[in-house]
Amino acid sequence: MTLLFLPAGLLIIIVFGIPIVRYTWLSFHASSVLTKLEVLPNNGANWIRILGDDRFWQDAYQTVRFASISVTIEICLAILIALLLDQKINNRGLVRALSLLPWALPTTIMALGWRWIFNTPYGPIEKIFATLGLGPLNILSNPDTAWLATIIADVWKTTPFIALILLAGLQTIPNELYEAFRLEGGGKLHAFQQITLPMLKPYLIISILFRTAQAFGVFDLIQVMTGGGPASSTESLGLYAYLNALRFLDFGYSATIILLTFIILIIFTLLVWLLASKANSIRKAITS
Amino acid sequence: MKLINVKNTIFLLILIFVFSSIGLAEAKRPRPVNINILMPAPFVESTLDLVSRFNDKEKGKINLKITKGPLETEAVSDLAISSLLLGKSTFDALLIDVTWLPKYAAAGWLEPFEDRIKPKDWDSLAAGARLGNKYMGRIYRWPLVADMGLLYWRTDLMDEPPKTEKELLDISLNLREQGKVPYGYVWQGRQYEGLSCVFLEVINGFGGEWLSSSMKVNLTSKESLEATRWLKELITSGASPRAVMNFSETEALQAFKSGDAALMRNWPYAWEELQKKESYVKGKVGVTTMISKENHEPSATLGSWGFSILKSSTKKDAVFKAIEYLTSENAQKEMFITNGYTPTKSDIFKDEELLASSELLPVLETALSISASRPQTPLYAQISDVLQKQLSSVLTEDKPIYEALKQAEVKTMKIISAAGNKL
Repeated sequence: MTLLFLPAGLLIIIVFGIPIVRYTWLSFHASSVLTKLEVLPNNGANWIRILGDDRFWQDAYQTVRFASISVTIEICLAILIALLLDQKINNRGLVRALSLLPWALPTTIMALGWRWIFNTPYGPIEKIFATLGLGPLNILSNPDTAWLATIIADVWKTTPFIALILLAGLQTIPNELYEAFRLEGGGKLHAFQQITLPMLKPYLIISILFRTAQAFGVFDLIQVMTGGGPASSTESLGLYAYLNALRFLDFGYSATIILLTFIILIIFTLLVWLLASKANSIRKAITS
Repeated sequence: MKLINVKNTIFLLILIFVFSSIGLAEAKRPRPVNINILMPAPFVESTLDLVSRFNDKEKGKINLKITKGPLETEAVSDLAISSLLLGKSTFDALLIDVTWLPKYAAAGWLEPFEDRIKPKDWDSLAAGARLGNKYMGRIYRWPLVADMGLLYWRTDLMDEPPKTEKELLDISLNLREQGKVPYGYVWQGRQYEGLSCVFLEVINGFGGEWLSSSMKVNLTSKESLEATRWLKELITSGASPRAVMNFSETEALQAFKSGDAALMRNWPYAWEELQKKESYVKGKVGVTTMISKENHEPSATLGSWGFSILKSSTKKDAVFKAIEYLTSENAQKEMFITNGYTPTKSDIFKDEELLASSELLPVLETALSISASRPQTPLYAQISDVLQKQLSSVLTEDKPIYEALKQAEVKTMKIISAAGNKL
């Protein structure tokens, strides 16, 4: 039996274990352009530096904000879309395939598209407001609105992915349940609350965890849309780690950023998981 | 049955002889040395002819292959660095930006080659083109093309371009008030490297300095505060649209090209773009150097590209030969005519034939003569990043000017002192 776990176990060690060990080791060393890329121990200087690095904590806040808001909106929209796609409509296959299109597009290309959509003065949004005699909005050059624009772009791109998972979940719910509920005299909204949502819960939790982890590492979308600006108001932890590694050639500090981000992500997803699953199911999991 | 068929044997022997001599000749034939240079995408197109002519000339000896990198400057650096970090790079040389050189050289990736450069070759470079090729006194880069910040102006809207910061502001506001253009002056105000380039020109033109050669940070000097206040005033007064805070070169060019702006800060490449058929301002564009305060000299941020040989290359002689060919006087002349690339050799600026056909050349010469390089240190990326962030918060009115610049100064000094001041 243990032998059967060997391939999967080895894969996990190679893909996850080795990088984590290597990064932990690197985070206790100086390895930058100043050390001529040699790896020299520096007695935890990276960790002391990161705790007092206000930019890291600002980015951490912005990343959590980005992840929590975008995933919440995505889940709400995805439930609606999944319910819609589950109906018997004409050309259902085609509609389902089309709805996945945003998910299939490369992020860089769609981010470039959104950068032009929000562009002042040539983007369509500005043009619409201008014809109404309003504006200019300057969405991407205002720290109060630029981060919302990145969330809109992210929601547009990844909602179909959640909708797909939820659609699969919806199809596992037996029709007999709804029929029995109807016979008992339950309404449609009630059926959604009593049957659909509880039955979808495992799928919801899976998609929330998936998307949270992914949104936490957001990089390409922001790099292309705003480059982290204006006034660093959209910079994510992923972008900061990238800057340190590839632009500043400071690999020791970059490894520290990645590790601490990883720790924050674990705490954050644990919180999300606790919130998403009800208390009794946790108790069940613990007692069983 | 005969054991040996004579006819067949002879035939077989002839066959063996023929094939082995072909093989032998093939083996003896000198194989060309294959070399590979990484360039950003736009340069690949413009050097296509030169490269094929070099390969014809060196046929059988050297085979030069160009790897097409991404379009965007920093994406090219990411690709180069990734390949260098993996150990033995597949490239023999890189075409690199002026700001990368100290970083790459300090990381130990580049081969110094001053012993290959003759003094007369060095002297043939225009003064501005000599900047940014050395690190710790050694030559690591040979320039292909120079690049300087320029001020583009509309000849149909004004008789003369603005020379001072006040003139620029007044002209922009007047033209807007008269309803002649929606925007006055467009530039690069997005939080990225372009903003540092804009700032360097302005602070120098105001008589200040970003970083002195002895690594003293001067961001809270009177001149620096004035320069930053002016940049902010451009936006608050309406001389520049608020949208410039997310403008890179592309957006600024788009606005100017479609006739929406009276003035633009951009690089020389914009000139060719503005002469194209679809350009609304074709034939209505003049170009000059950046404004400065009265009694101060104007300045142009230098952004040149040049070739560096990688230490890991085993074919350095062949690579140097290729670099010599691609940067020769004839090559530069040709690239100026076909692509508008700014030459790096001073003789070309005196070429009668070119001067007769191009009104741009004298402006380029002037701009190159007043060009200023960004701080040349391996920590430039960090230092510039700190400045970009603070300038962006000034422009977006996130922070008061002094507070932002003070923070930028303190952080820059921290970066320098963390490096033990050994830059």
